Amino acid sequence: MQLNMRFIGVKSTLSKWNKSNPKINYLVSRMLSLRHSGTLIFRLVTYLLLFDLAFIFLYPFFYMIVTALKSPVDMMDITVNWIPRSLHTNNFTRALQSLDYFRGLLKTSFVTIFATIGHIISCSMVAYGFARYKFPLRDILFVLVLLTIIIPTQTLIISLIILYSKIGWLNNYMSLIVPTFFGFGLRGGLFIFIFRQFFLGMPHELEEAARIDGCNAFRTYWTIVLPVAKSALLVCTILSIVWHWNDFFEPAMYITKPALQLLPSKLPSLYEFLKRSLQQDSIVSDTFTLEGVVMAATFLVILPILIVYLFLQKKFMEGIERSGLIG
Amino acid sequence: MKRKRYKKWLTMEKKHTIEGYLFILPWILGFLCFFAFPFFQSVQLSFSNITKITGFEMQWIGLENYAKAFVWDVAFVPYLNQAITSTVFNMPLNLVFSLFIAMLVNRSIRFRGFFRGAFFLPVLLGSGFVLQQLLGIGVDQQATEVARGIVMPDEVLMYLGPNVINYVNSFMSRITIVFWSSGVQIIIFLAGLQSIPVALYEAAKCDGATVWESFWKITLPMMLPVILLNSIYTLVDSFTSSTNRVIEYMMFLKADINNYEYVAAIGMIYFIFVFLLIAIIFGLSRKSIYNLSER
Repeated sequence: MQLNMRFIGVKSTLSKWNKSNPKINYLVSRMLSLRHSGTLIFRLVTYLLLFDLAFIFLYPFFYMIVTALKSPVDMMDITVNWIPRSLHTNNFTRALQSLDYFRGLLKTSFVTIFATIGHIISCSMVAYGFARYKFPLRDILFVLVLLTIIIPTQTLIISLIILYSKIGWLNNYMSLIVPTFFGFGLRGGLFIFIFRQFFLGMPHELEEAARIDGCNAFRTYWTIVLPVAKSALLVCTILSIVWHWNDFFEPAMYITKPALQLLPSKLPSLYEFLKRSLQQDSIVSDTFTLEGVVMAATFLVILPILIVYLFLQKKFMEGIERSGLIG
Repeated sequence: MKRKRYKKWLTMEKKHTIEGYLFILPWILGFLCFFAFPFFQSVQLSFSNITKITGFEMQWIGLENYAKAFVWDVAFVPYLNQAITSTVFNMPLNLVFSLFIAMLVNRSIRFRGFFRGAFFLPVLLGSGFVLQQLLGIGVDQQATEVARGIVMPDEVLMYLGPNVINYVNSFMSRITIVFWSSGVQIIIFLAGLQSIPVALYEAAKCDGATVWESFWKITLPMMLPVILLNSIYTLVDSFTSSTNRVIEYMMFLKADINNYEYVAAIGMIYFIFVFLLIAIIFGLSRKSIYNLSER
């Protein structure tokens, strides 16, 4: 009885304390419960950090779009920071013109699409061989695959140029596309590695069932394994598209004719070209216009992969979680 | 009739072996054409002099090209030094931050999809000319100045003195480029974090471990192989990025056909350094993985 009385006493003093605002009381108690992993302060800090970091990661894109839409007057005006006074599309038309955008887009997409197809077909097949079959020299050969990842293309570049000039692949997209069909090209070894990790984590039962039903090895791979490996396929496709689109070293080495150049390789020459043309054009001869056009051009170059990525982003992330890249 | 005989002739095991080789056949062909042959030719070229440009006839001159790189060429050694130091310093930063970001995003938070998408986006900038344009204008510094201002306002830093502000600013501007090149690493870490069984954390929690403790005792040891993978990826990535001075130098030299054998020698030196660094990382990681398994 007495105990009960005392209990009520404690409760009443507490409630007196909190009478003013139960909500604040709740928040204070949440903040003070430090052992609870989801405390309010901790959460606030986490979100602050996350938004701050996301800002750093997104800044280049914001900057590009905003700068491209600014008129030269807005550029000089220090009060115009994020929102241009008027939408100035002149930069874009100028960039489209001097990049020869649509033709460049066609060429770059052609190379990127075929190189990606090459990577997906060859790397998944080779990786399947490495993951599911036991044959002599297999482990040594796989170490060689890892070696191809480690050795930079820069080491081989001169011999490759000589080789390609002999078979007439210089200034020809063959030099960028054909090696991908053999599991080489831009980071081919890495894709083999990713696919192998995925296949190693996959259960054998489906394939064994198919083999017992009389399916041959290649057909098993093509009709049973590949459809199951959707997530790894997606991850590799996206990475391959992005890397091929932005690749600068090999195209700059093999393709020197301006008419054949891919979009990203056109950027530096564009910069020079604009500088010269602006100097002749006395009315708008200032660096501010130049920066606007260059940013517009840069944005136009990455726009296609940006769109592709935004469409596939959600599935890409799911694929990464599911694919068991790390076995 | 003939086919049946052929089938009997092959045992199950032999058939298996042949199928395996058939699957990796394209790679073997590619390896011979696009890797082994160019590699040995590069080695040969780096030790010789091109006497006839048509047909690339070579003459053995020994270590002369290598001597040129280290003794005669004033530009190469500083570039190599710069490339290696920036890689060695940026790699740990890159690993720490990408693991940190991956762990932040791996928690149950709101806008998870948005954050994951956002942290991968700079990969789309690539490491090529697009990034170079942006760095040329100084976009990286603008980005960090604003971002740092949100977390650490200047007013707070003022209390610590101007030296601290300078120090923080220079550190942050160095780090932006690290952030922008960490997209793939974040994703690899995310995949790794997902593969750690939740039961381990639950068991640790029941035994009274704090979040901090379970990070050091569970997350980090489980992530060691992933950290190894990531450090090698980071290394290779930074050695092939266009912001790398050696690569710029090679692209500049390659314009003149008389420099071909010299570029090949530089490429070989470059590869030797990359290989050494990777060997060191492997050595270190083997030791640490071994130590952890001892515990």
